[in-house]
Amino acid sequence: MTTPMIELTGVSKRFGQLEVIHGVDIAIDDGEFAVFVGPSGCGKSTLLRMIAGLESIDDGDLLLNGKRINDVPPDQRGIAMVFQSYALYPHMTVAQNIGFSLDLKKVPRAEIKREVGRVAELLQLSDLLDRRPAALSGGQRQRVAIGRAIIKQPRVILFDEPLSNLDAALRVQMRAELQKLHQELRPTIVYVTHDQVEAMTMATRIVVLNQGRVEQWDTPIELYNRPVNSFVAGFIGSPRMNLISGTIIASDAAPLFKANAGWSVAIDGRQLASAVGQPVTLGIRPEDIRPVGATETADLAATIAIVERLGAETYLNVRNGEDTLLVRVQGDLAVRPGDAVRLAMNHHAFHLFDQSGRTIAA
Amino acid sequence: MAEVRTTRTVLTSVAAYATLIVISIFCLLPFIWMALASVDSNAKLFLKWPDSWTFDNYLRVFNKEDGYRWFANSLFTVTSATILVMIISGLGGYALSRSHAWWKQPFLYAVLLIRVLPSTALLVPLYKILLGLNNFESTLLRPIFGENIRQAMRLFGFIDGYLGLIIVLATGQLPLALWIMKVFFDGVPKDYEEAAILDGATLVQRIRRVLIPLALPGLAAAGLFTFMSAWGDFLLPLILLSSPELQTLPLGLFRAFLRVNEIDYGLLAAIAVVYLIPAIIAFSFARRFLVQTFSGGVKG
Repeated sequence: MTTPMIELTGVSKRFGQLEVIHGVDIAIDDGEFAVFVGPSGCGKSTLLRMIAGLESIDDGDLLLNGKRINDVPPDQRGIAMVFQSYALYPHMTVAQNIGFSLDLKKVPRAEIKREVGRVAELLQLSDLLDRRPAALSGGQRQRVAIGRAIIKQPRVILFDEPLSNLDAALRVQMRAELQKLHQELRPTIVYVTHDQVEAMTMATRIVVLNQGRVEQWDTPIELYNRPVNSFVAGFIGSPRMNLISGTIIASDAAPLFKANAGWSVAIDGRQLASAVGQPVTLGIRPEDIRPVGATETADLAATIAIVERLGAETYLNVRNGEDTLLVRVQGDLAVRPGDAVRLAMNHHAFHLFDQSGRTIAA
Repeated sequence: MAEVRTTRTVLTSVAAYATLIVISIFCLLPFIWMALASVDSNAKLFLKWPDSWTFDNYLRVFNKEDGYRWFANSLFTVTSATILVMIISGLGGYALSRSHAWWKQPFLYAVLLIRVLPSTALLVPLYKILLGLNNFESTLLRPIFGENIRQAMRLFGFIDGYLGLIIVLATGQLPLALWIMKVFFDGVPKDYEEAAILDGATLVQRIRRVLIPLALPGLAAAGLFTFMSAWGDFLLPLILLSSPELQTLPLGLFRAFLRVNEIDYGLLAAIAVVYLIPAIIAFSFARRFLVQTFSGGVKG
């Protein structure tokens, strides 16, 4: 087994009395694109800043390439960071911003110029080298910030919500550019975002954080298909997974899930004898529910509350008693709020969570 | 209807402009009188067109009177105080902006109190303290300087010395400058410093290459405020300085005005103009930075 590039074991952080990171264990391999994702205040930025060396580590070990770096100053870790605000020095030109770290290291002028030129070409900044940050667009500033990070040829690049200041179209474009950059240079990337779409599209592995703890740590598709608890299930995937409270009831054929709202559905192919009678949460993704015609068998009758017609797909917000479900239908569906609808569910796509939120094994 | 409204608008505009013009003239008259009188060979107390144009008044300020010395003294003490204030307010403002100490807010308001209390009210205790310091200092310095103690005290003395005036001027201006710099640094995100740390900058490099350039508009505003305010100070040099060699411009102006036998309006006006020029130059520099500083922080 190769040594991971970054390894955290039992890493904790306290701000005064308040513990914000509780014993995090993660290992990130060389060349990975790891994404820390979680709701705001979950500690993902703090964890990133601890890797950068901008926050101290109160407990546990941080290893870079097998070497403990808890007490190594930030600039000697071989780590670069791109800030959410970009933090481009406003009094310096683009070239000076990108070359600043080399300048501080007393690298000869000619070499700095050559390196800046190389990075600028890679990031399509060659025409902008004499400009000040104030004269750049958001996307250009973002690229300068990346240039400033990669010129040091760091082993690890940290990104702290780098796309949150860009508009939607630019964000999609920068996502593609970041992936391209990762494929060309193969650095180890640790990327923090609260946007699970960014996490899903770019990551090789995702760390889902909640309240200073790692909830799950796996590839995007694994997280999507096999969330370990209801938090991960609800956080990964857009639109969100439907989570419905109810109980498991024994039945002759297959066990039944009976929703608190009254309706019930059979759960095929699972041994749930131990869960019978217990309160559970049923999870089903919006794309695993579909409206059916009058002749087909349906699991549930409901009333449409809200219709969102996006053209390529349609989101239906439907109600059955107290329960609200989101249904994602391919193509355009001409229905109206108030219409009755019969729904069938994919019985193999159910997720079941126990009272504490943990997934009930199949 | 439209007709009525137009007439009314025109009338109110005329009234507004007339009022403004009257106020402007009222404000400008002293300056006009001063400018005219300073080049009048026979200046009088009343505003009048010069009998004949002359620069004689200015020549007298510098040749007959001690004009050069007054100007140099003023410039030296006020510039030194300004530099002192810029250094202390720059460092202090940064510390106050970044610190989370519990005493930060009380300290900031206490410091502002110095500015709010009229310094005239504190003159007597201030003088007593400075006099005590001065006597202590002179006993310390006497063995070192021996014969030259008078000259040394003129430089370093707290009473009737440059150092005392510079320190007192700087102290008076420091609270406002400290506030300006604190608020300015509040608007400078910590990200810049952290980016510089990751770029490998040492503390000195961070201050010199990142923080000072970022703080320059704020420092300029604080410095120019200090300069303009200390330049206009009359009471402190009057109380603290007595030697003729140490007189500053406002004192020269005041003493010229006090001469009993005759009042030489041309000379007074010329001194006043000389006294005004640095303040006007400082203000013309300040305008740019003041707007930038008070409309908020660093634009990246």
